Parts: sequence; C-alpha cells; structure tokens
Amino acid sequence: MWIFLVLMWRIVGKVLRRVGWGGLLVPVAAMGMALAGVHFWTVALVLIALAVVLRKPLLAAALLPLSMISAGLAGLVVAAMTPGGSMNYFVRAVMAKPQVAWEVLPQAVAGYIPAKGGPVTYVLPKATVVWTKGTAARHQVLAQVPWVRDWAVRPVAGSKPLAVSYAIDKGPEPGAQAWSVAGVGRSVGGWQGHLLVPVALLLLTIGLWLAPRMLRGVRPLAASRMPELRRWLAANRWALLLPPVVGVGMAAFGAQPWTIAAVVAALVIIVIRWPVITADMVPFALAALAVIGYLIAARWQSASPGFYQHPMLYGPVWVDGPKSAIAAGAEASAFLALGAWLVPRTIGARWRSTPDADLAGRVARLTESRGHAVDAAAAELRRIERDLHDGAQARLVALGMNLRAVERVLPSSPQAALALVAEARETSVRALNELRDLIRGICPPVLADRGLGHAVQALVLDTPLPTALEIDLPGRLTAPVESACYFAIAEALANAVKHSGARHAGIRIQHASGLLRIEVADDGVGGADPQQGTGLQGVERRLGTFDGIMAVSSPPGGPTMVVMEVPCALLSPKTCSC
Amino acid sequence: MRVVVAEDLFLLRDGLARLLSAHDFEIAAAVDSAPGLLCALLEHRPDIAVVDVRLPPAFADDGLQAALAARREVPGLPVLLLSQYVEQLYARELLADQAGAVGYLLKDRVFSDDQFVDAIRTVAGGGTVMDPEVVTKLLGRRSRDEPISRLSGREREVLELMAEGRSNTAIAQRLFITEKAVSKHTTSIFTKLGLAADQDDNRRVLAVLAYLNS
Repeated sequence: MWIFLVLMWRIVGKVLRRVGWGGLLVPVAAMGMALAGVHFWTVALVLIALAVVLRKPLLAAALLPLSMISAGLAGLVVAAMTPGGSMNYFVRAVMAKPQVAWEVLPQAVAGYIPAKGGPVTYVLPKATVVWTKGTAARHQVLAQVPWVRDWAVRPVAGSKPLAVSYAIDKGPEPGAQAWSVAGVGRSVGGWQGHLLVPVALLLLTIGLWLAPRMLRGVRPLAASRMPELRRWLAANRWALLLPPVVGVGMAAFGAQPWTIAAVVAALVIIVIRWPVITADMVPFALAALAVIGYLIAARWQSASPGFYQHPMLYGPVWVDGPKSAIAAGAEASAFLALGAWLVPRTIGARWRSTPDADLAGRVARLTESRGHAVDAAAAELRRIERDLHDGAQARLVALGMNLRAVERVLPSSPQAALALVAEARETSVRALNELRDLIRGICPPVLADRGLGHAVQALVLDTPLPTALEIDLPGRLTAPVESACYFAIAEALANAVKHSGARHAGIRIQHASGLLRIEVADDGVGGADPQQGTGLQGVERRLGTFDGIMAVSSPPGGPTMVVMEVPCALLSPKTCSC
Repeated sequence: MRVVVAEDLFLLRDGLARLLSAHDFEIAAAVDSAPGLLCALLEHRPDIAVVDVRLPPAFADDGLQAALAARREVPGLPVLLLSQYVEQLYARELLADQAGAVGYLLKDRVFSDDQFVDAIRTVAGGGTVMDPEVVTKLLGRRSRDEPISRLSGREREVLELMAEGRSNTAIAQRLFITEKAVSKHTTSIFTKLGLAADQDDNRRVLAVLAYLNS
C-alpha cells in the first residue's frame, strides 16, 4: 500500500514537473464531474481542462486556483441548499405536448399528467439516481406546482430505483396543451454527502492560497498583452454588448441555459474576430429585444384571468403576471433607449465623416507630443552646451595656459617645462574622456554604427545584471526611432539595476507588421511607478513623439515588466556583417 | 617590421606613420578607407595593421569589418584597432576566432608612445592586447561571479594586467614584484578560475579573455 502511494506520488511529481502546477486542473475538473455527474458538458469541461494544460500551461496555472475557488463555493452552496448533504429532486412544470415532455429534459425522468387528471406513477431509472433522504426540500419544491398533490417517492424492490407518484385535481382545459411534471433525480449521497463540506472548504482554502502565487506567473504575460487589449477595448468596447443581448433574447424565448451558453461563447469568438461589424449590430439587436419585450408585456396585460400562460424570463424580470409585465415593458424601453444611444457611437460613428473627429484627436496629440519633443531637444542642447562649457572647453583653456607656461619656463628651466608638458598631456586625456562620455550620451557609437539590435547587445554587455536577449529585428530603423528606443531600453534596464534588486533581466525586441515591440522585464521587487520618477515619464513622452506607447506592470513583490510599442517601418534589410 | 596604417584623418594618419617610422617600422601602406585597407592588407600581407575602427565609406565600423574580413582571408593576420571609444561587443568579435594577434586600444594610448609601440610588437608577435577600459568593463560585468570574487586584490591586479596582454616580465615591472611572484599569482588565478594552466603567454591571455567574455 505504502509502496503504491509512494509510486503514485513519484509519478504525479514527474507529471507536474513536466506540465507545471496547472496540471492539477484536470483532477479538479474530474472531481467536478464526480460531483455533478457524467454529462456531456462535464466531460467536455474535463477535456477542455486537459487541452488547456497541454497547450497553454501558463493559462492552466492561472485557472487552477480560480477553478478550485469556484468548485469550493459551489460545494458550499450545494451543502447549504440541501440539508443532510443531499441534493433533492426538483420538479418543474413544463409546457409541452405529452409526447414532447420526454425530450424537453432528455436526461431527466419525465412523466406527464393525463388530460383527465388522476394518479400517475413512474419509475426513475437506476442510472440517474442515487437515493438519499431530503424530504423537506422536496415538498417545498412540490408546493410550487399548485395542481399536483400527494407527491411521493418510494423505493421499489432493490432499493435503488425509485417510484415517483403524484396526483392532480383536474387536467387542463380541453384543447389546451397538456402539462407535464418532470422530475430530475440526482442526489449527493453516501460518503460524498458527508465529505462535501470539508472537501469544499479544503478546495476553497487551497484555491485562495494558490491564487496570488499562480497569478504572479501569469502577470508578465498579461502585462505584455495589456497595451494591445487596451487599444482593442478603446476601439471596440460596444461590440462586447452583443453576446449578453442575444443571451437575454434567447432566455426570453425559453432556450435552455446550455444552449444560451454555447451561442454566447460562439458570439464572443465572432466579436473578437469581427469587432466593428458586431458593434454595428448591437443597436439592432437591442431594438429587436425591445420589440420582444413589448410583445411579452402586451400579451400578459391582455391575458384573460384564469388562463394560464407559461412564465417567461425577460432579462432580470420573471414575467408571470400583469405587474411584472409592466416591469418588462419598462425594461424593453430601457433597451430601446440604450440602442438609440449607441447608434451614434457605433454605426453613426462610421457613417459620419469620421476623418474629422479622428484628425482632430490626432492633431491634439501631435501638438502635445511636438511640444514635448521641442522641450526635450532644447533641454538636451542645454545639457550638451553645459557639459562642453564645463568640461572639454575648460580643459582646452587649461591646456593653452599650460603650453604658454611651458613657453615661458623652457629657456630657464627645461625640467619644470617637462613637468608642465606631462600635465598638459594629462589634461588632454581628461578632455578626451569627457568628450567620449558626452558623445555616448548623445548617440552611442554602436547605435550609429550598427543599429538598435547591436547597440542593445553592447548595452547588455556593459550592464552588471545578467540579461537575456531576444532580438528579432531584420533591418535598421530610422535614426530618431532607434535613438528613442535605445534610451528607453537603457532607462528601463538602469532602473532594474538600480532599484529592483533583480537577479535576472530580459529584453525582447521584435518587429512585425509595422510595429516595433520592446519588452524589458526583471525579477526584482517591483513597485515601479511611472508617475513617480521622471525617467519613465520622459521615455513615454519621447516615444509619444513617434506615436509609440509604454505600459508598466510592476506590482509590489515583482516582477516588473515595461512594454513599449512604436509603429515604424524597417529601412533596409540587415546588411550582412561580413 | 612592415606596417599598414588605416586612418581617415590626414593629420592622425601622418602622425602615426611618423611615430612608427621613428621606431624603425617600415610603412608598407597608409590608407584612408575600408576598401583601400582590405586591398592593402591582402596585397602587402604586412607584419601588422594599425586600423581606425571608424573609416569611410560609411563612417561606421567599416575598419573593424575590413580587418575581420582580411583575417578571414589570412587567418591570424595581426591587427591593432584604434578607436575613440572601446566597446565590449567589438572586442568580443575580434577575439571570437581565438587566433590571437589582435589588439584593441583607445586612440589616447598613442600619446604614450613606448607603451603603444610595445602593444604593436606584442600583437605582431601573435599576442593579444586589450585596452584597460575593456578589461575593467569585463571584470565589472563578472564581478558578481563567484570565482572572480574569490580572487585576492593582488591577484585581481595581475589578472587585469594579464588581460590587457602584458607579459609576466611587464607585469612584474609594473607591480614592483619579482617574476616568480607573478607566476605564482597566475597559477593561483588559473586554479581559482578553473582554467588549464599554460606556459605560453599568448594562449594564456586568450584563455583569460575567453573566460571573462563568456
């Protein structure tokens, strides 16, 4: 037994090392299946979990704590709803023709109430039922179906299958659709019932403990996608309304939750693929939804008393009488108003001559960034002037004075002259050093010689922090962009060295479809705030001159990641370095 | 000893040629561009080339590229590069072929002509000479590493001078110690860095630089 356990532990350890901690997602999903039963959707969830673990281990690691927390919460909710640790039968009235009733809830056991009324008995098949007690809740549910009485569930021979019996007072009116009562039998019983609360609490605790740790690993990934996401949201946020609107509409027509979920999921994919067109569809969808709402409200308002209509879910309103019909009407009006409000923001924005608005915004941005650029250039010139004035220029003056002194003392004392000449040489070396530093600050030689990729390589060689490089830059960029990007990287890397206490850093540079993307990451203490220091702010302004953007993700505790994106074209393919 | 000089500024080129002539070098050619340098190197096969990194036509690292190209044609062709600035990246490329006979110095070093001429002779003899600034940067980058931090102060000094390409004799003179003491330090350094000891000065310098560059 122990050997078996140790062996299992070894195997599990090996698998986890291979796929990462996210691998635990599969057993958690399997546990969910054990609790909820083997259904199409639970099996699908387990398969999806497996696929995520194998294809996107980082995502799996992020989902693991979330799935554990939600599983724990769901377990606690089930336990709270079902005294005695069991989930009860629930009964729902389904409007359907008798023969259709069986199809409405395929995995349920459905019986129907004959048109004449009278007792009904049917047997729940063994496969769907694990029997435990829980009568109180059952009766409560039954009380909601007014025309059913004498509901009873009793074991038949062999104890596991159950017989369900009930009686009704009278059948529906002749000619009307028959009513059926469908019972879904499922319970959490036996050891599962007893362990439900502790297991749920355990999952919840582990999930909460894991959440910050796992999310830390995903953060750099999320941070690197952030600018992209922000841009997408700014342009296409209204398109996101389409899936919920369609979901509400489907619910109003009585679609099953899983159907709605599937359609909404499909719509989300469509929204991501064609955001502009879906955004244009949102006002139409809202108008259609409003029409449905008015129709529902009208039907309930005009319904003759005593005639039973199937209740409907319209948005958050459960429509089952004249009062809730008014609420549905109000909701429909709200939908209509929202749709009208969105028209100028979606379709209208594209029909209106958009260039004007776009251009105005762009002119404002350019005016601002031009101001920054001019200021920065002026400040830079002042710095160079000061450096030259205090440095090389002063040294040359000293050099001249030295040489004049040599002229004077040479005839009388050649020894003293020699000392002065040596001093003059020292001064010239110092002047050269200062000029060298100044030039490096204006334009690093390797940057001028070979471009951004090599310059960053040289920068990394001069940095005491071990830094991984990944450069995919098949050509040169324009000199201003190269320079701005170089100093941006230098600033980010210098911050990592000075403030982060990091042990490793990484720089990734890539150029694809007209966009230069730079990531500078370190594993230090984090907490960098671009609003605090002038360095990163300056970087942001300088990149802004080229329509570039910068995003910093640096939570306390690290890691820090600076992402920069600059739209720019490559000048030429890289010249072969031979 | 025959020298090819490549420098685009006339005054400097002339000054270099004069300095070298004064020290009994024969100027085989003095050129002012990278293509000219490549032709001169392949035609004259000099004992050493003194080359400015930044040369026409592109005024980028053309001199370095031409020197590297010539060394691909003639492996081990001795080349001493001069520049207004030194870059580890370029030092690394010069050392990459492990053939030695390369030097990389700041132009200021020409001021002290004795040391400069020594450096030329070392490179011409197959040795390696790196500017102290390169060595300082190399050591600065590796200073956090465990083996380097275990070196004593004196051993570090010896390592720096060794990496600059100085012989045991020169190191002994510079540090005012005996040559025997120097070789004791070098043995200790090689043990601490886990390098195979080598009696040959040139190969030893290359090993140290390769270690620091890794």
